[in-house]
Amino acid sequence: MKLYRLLLNLYPARFREEYAGPLQQQFLDDYREARTIGSRSKLWLSALVDLAWSIPVELAHELRQDLSHSLRVHARRPFVMTFTIAILALAIGGATGVFSVVNAVLIKSLPFRDPDRLVVLWDFNQKFTTPAEFHHWRTSSAYLEDAAQAYTAEVNVGGVSEPARVTIAQTSFNFFSALGSEPMLGRGFAPSEDVPGNDAVAVIGHSLWQQLFGGDPRVLGSKIMLNGSPMTVIGVARPGFDYPHQSSVWTPTVFDHSRLPYKGRGWDPFGRLKQGVSLAQARQMYQAEATQWPRPTWMKNFPPPNLVPLKVELADNIREASLILMAAVGFILLIACANVANLLLTRTAERRSELIIRAALGASRARLVQQLMSESVLLSSIAAVTGLAVAYWAAKLASLSQPAQLASQTYTILDWRVLSFAMGIAILTGLLFGVVPALLVRHLQPAGDLARMHSSVPRATRLRGILIAMQVALTLILLAGSVTMGRSFLRLLDTGMGFRTDHLVAMSVSLVGTGERSEVQKAEYYREALNRLRAVPSVEFGSAAYALPLDDGFGVGTITLDSGRESPPLLENRVTPDYFRTMGMPLLYGREFTAADTGRVAILSEGIASAIAEGSAVLGRKVIARKEPYTIIGVVRATRYFSPDSPVREQITLPVFQKVPDYATFLARVHGEAGDSLTACRDAIQSVDREVPVFNAKTLQQRFDETVTVPRFRTTIFLFFGGFALLLAVAGIYGVSSYSITQRRREIGVRIAIGASAQGVRAMILRQALWPIAAGMLIGIGGAAWQGRLLEHLLPAVPPVDMAACAASAALLATVAIVSIWSATSRVLELNPIEVLKSE
Amino acid sequence: MAKKHIPAPKDLLPLSPTLFHLLLALSDGERHGYALKREIARRTNGAINPGAGVLYGTINRMLEEGLIEESEERPDAHLDDERRRYYRITSFGRLVAQAEAVRMRELVQIADDAFGLPERA
Repeated sequence: MKLYRLLLNLYPARFREEYAGPLQQQFLDDYREARTIGSRSKLWLSALVDLAWSIPVELAHELRQDLSHSLRVHARRPFVMTFTIAILALAIGGATGVFSVVNAVLIKSLPFRDPDRLVVLWDFNQKFTTPAEFHHWRTSSAYLEDAAQAYTAEVNVGGVSEPARVTIAQTSFNFFSALGSEPMLGRGFAPSEDVPGNDAVAVIGHSLWQQLFGGDPRVLGSKIMLNGSPMTVIGVARPGFDYPHQSSVWTPTVFDHSRLPYKGRGWDPFGRLKQGVSLAQARQMYQAEATQWPRPTWMKNFPPPNLVPLKVELADNIREASLILMAAVGFILLIACANVANLLLTRTAERRSELIIRAALGASRARLVQQLMSESVLLSSIAAVTGLAVAYWAAKLASLSQPAQLASQTYTILDWRVLSFAMGIAILTGLLFGVVPALLVRHLQPAGDLARMHSSVPRATRLRGILIAMQVALTLILLAGSVTMGRSFLRLLDTGMGFRTDHLVAMSVSLVGTGERSEVQKAEYYREALNRLRAVPSVEFGSAAYALPLDDGFGVGTITLDSGRESPPLLENRVTPDYFRTMGMPLLYGREFTAADTGRVAILSEGIASAIAEGSAVLGRKVIARKEPYTIIGVVRATRYFSPDSPVREQITLPVFQKVPDYATFLARVHGEAGDSLTACRDAIQSVDREVPVFNAKTLQQRFDETVTVPRFRTTIFLFFGGFALLLAVAGIYGVSSYSITQRRREIGVRIAIGASAQGVRAMILRQALWPIAAGMLIGIGGAAWQGRLLEHLLPAVPPVDMAACAASAALLATVAIVSIWSATSRVLELNPIEVLKSE
Repeated sequence: MAKKHIPAPKDLLPLSPTLFHLLLALSDGERHGYALKREIARRTNGAINPGAGVLYGTINRMLEEGLIEESEERPDAHLDDERRRYYRITSFGRLVAQAEAVRMRELVQIADDAFGLPERA
């Protein structure tokens, strides 16, 4: 009987209250009649079936009633309902959007077979010179079931309608099978195809197939030219497949290092762990093996070779950022919950009379709590559905702004994990902010409260205070975080690169595979291209360089000073005349190259020049670079080359025409908007030779912006969340203070009527309202300091949260609070006390 | 909660067999839940024998729709348990039961015209 009574608790409140008695009675009657064990078991069985059927039916029935009641109640205050849903939708949607990124990057598996067993081999120093050597190594590995290598570089694609520049991966023949992602069309490489003479085959990427062949399936067997060599297309990769480094063409490698493109990214070796070998075991075995291999001297201080899961390697850039985002979004969700709880609390207090009357008419507390809880879950569910639109937008934004390494990842909210996450947090937030008003109901005392129906409730005031304090604390933490992030970002932008990025356009060409050219003909090509570039009306100066700041591809080497000393490693660049003028890098001493410079001359950066002689005394001295003596003709300031947070590097610059490269970047300083001249400059260079692809045509500002994409993204997100939190806090503080002041109209009226000054009353209200805010601030400052340490730990580039950032955020919040309370009091203080008292 | 609009008897048709039988069982006076259950089981030879949860769920719905009401009167105290509640049919309930019977009669007529019905044994 006890068990049956217990099971009856599963019915919704109202039904239980009405019918628990008769149900028990009936069960007891039946039980008394059933005397044998058999008939009692049968009775239990049918009772359980009955409960299993009727409990969900009754739950649905009461939920429907509660919800239609809630809709009627909320429809009377559409603003509160819309505001609540909007806040929650933004918070739930944001959280879901961020979760979809975390899901794609950290949870969902890669589109390869058994991806958890794929590992990347860091610092793989074994240089194989034939495919046979490599395959012997991989097949005899004790810890890898299979392994493959890929060498990526940029090449020119010709022999098609539109010449293009693409990233190519030269791979061991087993590349596709080792990853477990066979081409969508055609086939991967055969074992015989990584042998010299048989290697003129290529698999092309899905988007390149669309771009060059319009998605024609007859592409198999066609020829394309890669850097001038013909290749037969034998396959098309799956959509989105671009491993490694956004490759769009794959060809077999014959491990002939002398034939690999000079400006390559190097080798990417990866393997598949043997069944039964754990990552830790494999790592140990790899390290033991790798220490036997020769290691270049410049790597001697590097950490030992390592085995890293492919997934971790691919997510590396975005992992910390995603987790920080998730935390920020969690904060927003909590703030939104506190805010909505406060709003609902206000509404509940307003509805107190309704609730008291219902309680007096016999509705139990359980029934009222159930009503309020289902209202809040209804609100959060509507918000979750609306929030999916926000999530879709957030996921889209994340796909656009993600670091390029993950460009093959698409974030979708149409994933069961993401959708269950959204549903889960909707229910959780609904319960979280629903529980506060419900707490209030638990303490309703119908008999006593009926008499004091219109007075305010001390418990509600206290709860509101706690909620405000919590909101202030969380907002302060987020604000301090965003101020810190913002300051560090501004500092980053402020860092001088050492050259000007304004009014500059740049575009690259590569002559590889675009017809045979002698040194003289190559030089002639560049001269003609420069002439045509300088002839563009908006171009002020034009020049070309082998490598450009904000790009990789610099040579690195040491030079011998005339004292016989070896210099530290320097960046080496080759440039045409006018380069420094075009870049806006003034010469400290001497002059820059001219067309007349046919001898060996060099320009050094300040730091290395001063190691030879002070000031202009260095001009005319000699250094040995590439085993040849060069005369120093100029000195420039050292610059940051790769991004504003990279260190300043010393460099040596040589004239380009002394050894003409196959690859160059043209630069033009233009009048007016740099972006407006981009097409004209590009066309001018393209017009020299249609076969030579002109690529990466961008303004220097664009290139600069790309290097700060990740910090910019992080900062924007933080500022957005900080601002959003502030907005929520302002809305919360204003709403609650104006409500509680309206509740105290009578008291205020009395105070003014017996002679209190308006200012005095205002000061009193302000004092009372500021208490929870001050408490929240104290907690918030502590939290911000803790968060600062966490951020420092996760993002080494971020400076620690300083007290100034905290104080600024606190001051901002306090000002906002005072202003909102002040303006809330004005309305009441302007009232005539007599009228206030009359109306009561 | 007061009903905002009173439905016409036809709006509630067709009735579930349990509900119709409950109305029929209340036609000759007040009964409590358990008695109703037994009466229905007897009338249908056990074919309809609702469990307590289903029974009171249906009763709850009938109360909300105004088909039945709770009776304040109780039989002799010594015969009764105070946990028992007695129900009686309302005039609206009668109208609905009649409407359902008419609907059934029409259905039977259609079936008779279509297939012809055997005489009752």
